[in-house]
Amino acid sequence: MEIVKEVKISENGFVFNSKTGDSFNLNPTGLALIKLISEGKELDEIKKEFVSAYEVDDLTFEKDFYEFFTLLKHHQIMVQSDPLEFK
Amino acid sequence: MEKLKYEKPVISKITAGVPSKFGLPARQKIISEIDGIPVSKLMEEYGSPVFVFSENTIRNTYAEARQAFETRYPKVQFAWSYKTNYLDAVCNIFHDEGSWAEVVSGFEFEKALAIGVSGSQILFNGPEKSEKDLTLAINHNACVHIDHFDELYLLMEITQKLDKKARVAIRVNMDTGIYPMWDRFGFNYENGEAWNAINRIMLADRLELIGLHTHIGTYIMAPSAYAIAATKLANLLVATHSKFGHWLKYIDLGGGFASKNTLKGAYMPGSETCPTFDDYAEAITNALISSEIPHENLPTLFLETGRALIDDAGYLLTTVLANKRSSTGRRNMVIDAGVNLLFTSFWYNLGVYPSKSPSEYLEETTIYGPLCMNIDVIRDAINFPHVKTGDQLVIERVGAYNVTQWMQFITYRPNVVLIDLEGRSHVIKKKEDLETLKNKEVKPE
Repeated sequence: MEIVKEVKISENGFVFNSKTGDSFNLNPTGLALIKLISEGKELDEIKKEFVSAYEVDDLTFEKDFYEFFTLLKHHQIMVQSDPLEFK
Repeated sequence: MEKLKYEKPVISKITAGVPSKFGLPARQKIISEIDGIPVSKLMEEYGSPVFVFSENTIRNTYAEARQAFETRYPKVQFAWSYKTNYLDAVCNIFHDEGSWAEVVSGFEFEKALAIGVSGSQILFNGPEKSEKDLTLAINHNACVHIDHFDELYLLMEITQKLDKKARVAIRVNMDTGIYPMWDRFGFNYENGEAWNAINRIMLADRLELIGLHTHIGTYIMAPSAYAIAATKLANLLVATHSKFGHWLKYIDLGGGFASKNTLKGAYMPGSETCPTFDDYAEAITNALISSEIPHENLPTLFLETGRALIDDAGYLLTTVLANKRSSTGRRNMVIDAGVNLLFTSFWYNLGVYPSKSPSEYLEETTIYGPLCMNIDVIRDAINFPHVKTGDQLVIERVGAYNVTQWMQFITYRPNVVLIDLEGRSHVIKKKEDLETLKNKEVKPE
């Protein structure tokens, strides 16, 4: 699963999806996370980076990560074509 | 290297449209303590969920209501509406402040007597009064507010049997411009039924008519409706005197004053739109004073307001069980207090607040209770900060009706706590346990 090519993300956390016409704001953690996702990094790698950089434990981060991921799919920033795909 | 402060990653859609006239609140309200006791301490001691009542708020609200009426009218008497909250500790505070008791069932009558209220200071309302209940009321010299002709004739029969007099009033329903008109209770004013009932009672040997009662509805936002009601009752009072030479002792305007809760579908918050006690008092007392009743014969004004006196004093403390997303990405939150404890959540948008400083990011959220039922929704849509599992929340203005209309369902009903004037907390109703529920069950042999 990757970020769809129509989505542009600015350095200050503004997101525009030219496919749907929707725009979004990211908070600073959201921006850091989406950057790592767009680099194609996997959860384990991202989690390691976050836990070492932020005041967060790995379980809390994992929960938040999946919730964020669900929202990205909901806003069509990422597309899941197969409902059984799990990454 | 020092770690960065973590905030839950969030992406929020920018929606263009008509901006809210009121804008977003500048700051999320937090309720971290009740009468000086931290929410966390109350929950540690009494569990979660837990109802908490503030004696200080009860007494202050009562004093405010009393002042509004007593500064405008010479004879005022409040009667505490038991059905709104009949926990002994709560009733005791109102009786200590000088309230009589207003009851609507044999059970409530017995409860008032058990608390120590004198029978002559009990107003007995409601459509359901059995022969046993009426006998109890007559024997205790209570005032029976007659609801219908069948009750009137039953009373005549009982007083004859007992060879005793009953002190009675009639409940009158009327058009005050309020919709829906509560015409299911009492005798109608406009079609002459109320006047008929008065005539019938005045001719009965063992019935002493001493008052007139009405209760025009609930959560009445228009004080002018009470003025109409007071005027119509004053007309009946004057007519009774003209025909029978008898001045009735009181006029009872019932209850129905709005609390500061926000009704579902309301545009503005109830705290901004609800009339004050002064508004109601001004309307009612002006109507009575400017009626044709001579000043020396002005009746005592009884008030049975319940909701407006107790709603603000009650809180429900609850814990976040889970955060989740719906299939459409909407934020859902599950808390450990359901609609079985919060009957009023069916008609109010109850105020739900965090107990400690949350994230600044607000998102529209649906708050669900823990019951395994689809109807268990505490708030359909509320802008709420992100909170974690285990975080403690406070639901305010839940003092009226919830602890009388709550249902035991799939779990135990929680502790109810009162914080007294010295800031000490007391359990006033213990949490149920298996024994509470099992001890009324009987297995067939």
